[in-house]
Amino acid sequence: MNSTAPPPAEQTCATATSGHYRVIERRSFGPYALLTLLAPDIAALAAPGQFVMVALPGTQFRLRRPLSLHSVGGERVRLLVEPRGEGTRELVELGVADTLVVAGPLGHGFPLERVRAALLVAGGIGVAPFQFVADVLRARGVPVTATFGFRDEGQARLAGAFEIDHLWVATDDGSVGRHGTAVELAREVGAGPHASVLACGPAPLLDAVRTWASTAGLSGYASLEAHMACGSGACHGCVVPTREGYLRVCVDGPVFALDLLGSGASTDASAPGAGLAPDGAKPQAAQ
Amino acid sequence: MTQPGALTQPGAPVPDLAVTLAGLRLEHPVLNASGTFDALETARHYGPEALAPFPFSAYVPKTVTLERRDGNPPPRLTETAAGMINAVGLQNPGIEAYLDDLPLLAFVPVPVLVNIGGRRPGDYLEVLRRVEERLAAGAAGSPQVAGYELNVSCPNVGRGGLAVGTEPGETEKLTAAARALTKRLLIVKLTPNVTDVVAVARAAAEAGADALSLVNTVRALVLDPQTLTPFLGNRTGGLSGPAIKPVALRMVWEVAGALDAPIIGMGGIACGRDVLEFVACGATAVAVGAANFSGPDAPRRIVAELRAELVGRGLPDLAAVRGRALV
Repeated sequence: MNSTAPPPAEQTCATATSGHYRVIERRSFGPYALLTLLAPDIAALAAPGQFVMVALPGTQFRLRRPLSLHSVGGERVRLLVEPRGEGTRELVELGVADTLVVAGPLGHGFPLERVRAALLVAGGIGVAPFQFVADVLRARGVPVTATFGFRDEGQARLAGAFEIDHLWVATDDGSVGRHGTAVELAREVGAGPHASVLACGPAPLLDAVRTWASTAGLSGYASLEAHMACGSGACHGCVVPTREGYLRVCVDGPVFALDLLGSGASTDASAPGAGLAPDGAKPQAAQ
Repeated sequence: MTQPGALTQPGAPVPDLAVTLAGLRLEHPVLNASGTFDALETARHYGPEALAPFPFSAYVPKTVTLERRDGNPPPRLTETAAGMINAVGLQNPGIEAYLDDLPLLAFVPVPVLVNIGGRRPGDYLEVLRRVEERLAAGAAGSPQVAGYELNVSCPNVGRGGLAVGTEPGETEKLTAAARALTKRLLIVKLTPNVTDVVAVARAAAEAGADALSLVNTVRALVLDPQTLTPFLGNRTGGLSGPAIKPVALRMVWEVAGALDAPIIGMGGIACGRDVLEFVACGATAVAVGAANFSGPDAPRRIVAELRAELVGRGLPDLAAVRGRALV
C-alpha cells in the first residue's frame, strides 16, 4: 500500500449512511404501505425531497429501490411504498420488526429557504415526499396548499397518509374529490402570486406543471423519478434531459428547478400510475 | 491488514489474499468494474471512512473518451432476472476535463487503472498519449496511475469499441499501437459478444497486452411490457449481474486454458465464492460490477467472504486454487 493523501476538504463529512434498519410501525392505505423505520442517523441528516436506496437483506440480486422520505420525526423516517412490481411488492409486505438495508439520505431536496408560500402539486405515488416538505414549512410558519391527483378511489387512499392543513384531492374518474388532475386543481385553488410550486409525479403531470407555472409567472421545483442503480452518481444510469444536458437524478436531483427541465424531462414516460418496468419491477424512484 | 468481518478462527493462519497481476502487486484480488463505482462520489456521500480501508485493491474509474460524450437517451437501465441491463453509452466529459480532475483522485491509496474507450482506434491512442503526457509533465498531486484498461467491448456506443473488440486483427493492431505508447500496465477488456473469445484474447496478448479483462456485458434486449417495444433509449443494452456469471466463467476458463496471459475475471460476481470460482477458472484478479449497486458495503463483504472461503477450505492463498477448474 502507498501512503494515503488526505481526501479533498469537501469530503470530510458524510452526508449519507448505509446500514440495516428495523421497521417499527407499518400502516396500510389500501394497497400502499407507510413504513416507519428507526434510523436516527438518516433522520439526523435528512432534508425534504431527499431519498433513500432500499433493499431487503439477502443474497438475491436486486437493484435497490429509490424511495422518497415521506417524513422524518425524531429518530424515525417514514417511507411510502407503492406495490408496482416484484421488488416494491416485497417492500410493501414487510411487517413490524422486519429489517431493511437502507442507504441515505441521498440527492438534493427541495430548496425551501426562500419559500414564502408553497403550492404542492403531486400525482400518484409522487405525493410521497410532501409530508416532510409540509412539516418543515409549517414549522417555519409558511402557508402550504397541496393539490394531489389520483387515478381513482383506490389510489386516492394514498391521501390518508398525509396531514396537511390545506390538502385538495382530484381523481381522473371523479370518484374522490374533484374530477380532474392535480394541475387543474392547483390552477383553480392557487396560492398567491409569490407561491413556489413544488411538484412530483409522472411526466405528463410535470409537463403540465411546467407549462402552467411558466404561463402564470410562478417559479418552482420538481422532483423526478428514474430507474437507478448506484444512487450516488457513479453509473450515470438515471439521467434526465435538461437545459444543461443529461443530469443525474440521483446526485444532481432528484429535485430540479422547473425552468431547467425540458418537455418530457422525467424518464418515466408512462401515464400516471401505469408504469411497470419490463420485469414488472419498476423502481419507485425519488418518486 | 485484517478486513472487518473476516471469519478467521482463533489460532488459524490468516490466508494471504495478495495477488500479483502482471507485476502489479495487489493486496487482494478484488477490483471494481469500470462505471460501477466512483471513489469521489462515494467519499462525498458516505464520508472518507467508507473508503478506509479502500474497498478495492485497484481503482478503475469510468471510461474516458477523447471527446466529451453525452451518452444515450434515457431510460438507460433496468433490473432483469438475476441481473440488470444498461445502455449508458459512456457518458463522460472527455479526456481534457478528465485529466484536469485527475488530482482529485490523489487520495486513492491503491493503483489507478485508466479505462479508455473510443469511436475509432486513433481515439484510444490519443487519449493514452495525453494521459502519459500529463503524468510525465508533473506527477505532483496525481494518483498512482499504474496502467490502462482498453475498453474495446462496450456494446452501447454504436460503431467503435465493440467493433474493435470483435475483430482479432483490429484488437491486435490497437493493442500493439497502445503498447508502443506506454510502459505501464496495459489491459485489454474483452467482450463476450463473439464466437471465439480465445482468438481475440490471443490477438491482444500477442500484441503486448499485459493482462486481459473478461468479460464486458452481454448484448441484450428488454421490452416495455405494455408497448412491446424496446425499453432502453438505446434499444439494446448490456446484460450484467449473476445472470451472466456462467457465461463469464466459461470464457475465463477457455482463455486461461489456451493462454498464459493474466486474467481479470468479471461478470456477475456477488459473493466470495464467486471470486473463488473465477480464480479456479484461471483468473488472477477479479472485478465487481453490478454487485456494487447493492450498496457501498458490497466489495468489503465480498473480500471478507473470500477470506472465509479460504479459511473454511483450509487454503493458505489463492494460488492454491488458481486454475483448479482447468481440467
